Amino acid sequence: MSIEQITGRYLCVEVAGRQQRIYFEEAGQGRPVLCLHTAGSDTRQWRHILNDPEITAENRIIAFDMPWHGKSLPPEGFMTQEYLLTTEAYMETVLAVIRGLGLERPVLAGVSMGGRIALQLAVHHPEVFSGFLAIEASDFQPAWYDIDWFHRPDAHGGEMGAALVSTNISPYAPEAERANTMWMFMQSGPGVFRGDLSFYTQDDSLVGALHRIDTAKTPVHFIVGAYDFTCTPDDARRTAAQVAGATLSVMEEVGHFPMSEHPAGFRPFFIEGLARMPKAEIGA
Amino acid sequence: MIDRMKRMQADLEHLPHLHRMGALFSETVLVKVDGQEFYLVFDKGRIAQLLEGPSKKTPYRFGLITDGAALTEFWTATPKPGFHDIFAMVRIGRAEIIGDMLLLVKNLRFLKEVLALPRARHEVIK
Repeated sequence: MSIEQITGRYLCVEVAGRQQRIYFEEAGQGRPVLCLHTAGSDTRQWRHILNDPEITAENRIIAFDMPWHGKSLPPEGFMTQEYLLTTEAYMETVLAVIRGLGLERPVLAGVSMGGRIALQLAVHHPEVFSGFLAIEASDFQPAWYDIDWFHRPDAHGGEMGAALVSTNISPYAPEAERANTMWMFMQSGPGVFRGDLSFYTQDDSLVGALHRIDTAKTPVHFIVGAYDFTCTPDDARRTAAQVAGATLSVMEEVGHFPMSEHPAGFRPFFIEGLARMPKAEIGA
Repeated sequence: MIDRMKRMQADLEHLPHLHRMGALFSETVLVKVDGQEFYLVFDKGRIAQLLEGPSKKTPYRFGLITDGAALTEFWTATPKPGFHDIFAMVRIGRAEIIGDMLLLVKNLRFLKEVLALPRARHEVIK
């Protein structure tokens, strides 16, 4: 028997005029590292990093479920609302969590759409952060699928979404973790994956803005998996090339959900990325 | 290639979880490899018939068109990037999917698992 070191609590906070009850998990102490999950999933993707004693010895790892995801309920009135994530709402949510938890200039580690918003925040609110890990992240990715597939009355959007995203899971991923990664997509609420993909595949507002990032103040490190066919290594390289001073690492045996699908394959790259970020400030 | 297809058909018989997953799938799927046609006739999650083409009279709902080298790599235990998944093969230009895409996506988990059966890690213990 064992009890994991992860603790989970709820933060009740107003985001863009709406009250949100946001579930977050954390473990460790030291430099705050705020972690963002991918589209259509939740904080459980970060379970291995949150349970890593070496990483949490010097880092306070925090991950939260976006509203509508995981254990964060949708806002009041959601039954008549179409969920469509926007850049503005996403950025405001991340900032509200940071304010609500009192985090002092955290490192922001975002994956996929989380990586996209990390780059947006690096452009628009760099002063809030000490650095950025942009994982499976690019400036823009048009859809190679129809996002409406994932919210239909005649099919299970979660199972369809899981089957589709399995395209981006590495064959080197342990079977159990491949299954766990797909399960989270299967559990996604109706229309949530579609609403996330709307943001991810249609909002191109980051294009042309990346040159504004000052990596001397807030370093940006890209990490991308060779088996990612949503954000390929070439997509990440194209994006990183627009950020002067950005660095990039390619994980040869990992896909689009590195921390969840292949924890052992991702771990050294995450540690390397953290090492590129500023150390915790005294008293932080 | 036909031996691999027959092995896929035989292995599927021993996998009840795929019979459950494909219980509502009774359609014909074309797999075209180096121009050679194979028609997988599914009936409630099983491959009831495996027909070799060419045929202009066998109706199918959707099809996967690829080449033998790509499919052989797809069936290795750890395929190279791009060859590990049918949609990834499309993305790198080594496969094409034709026909009723929505029907494929509705049954995607089932069909991906069936098409991957010849992989070494999916060897069936009989």
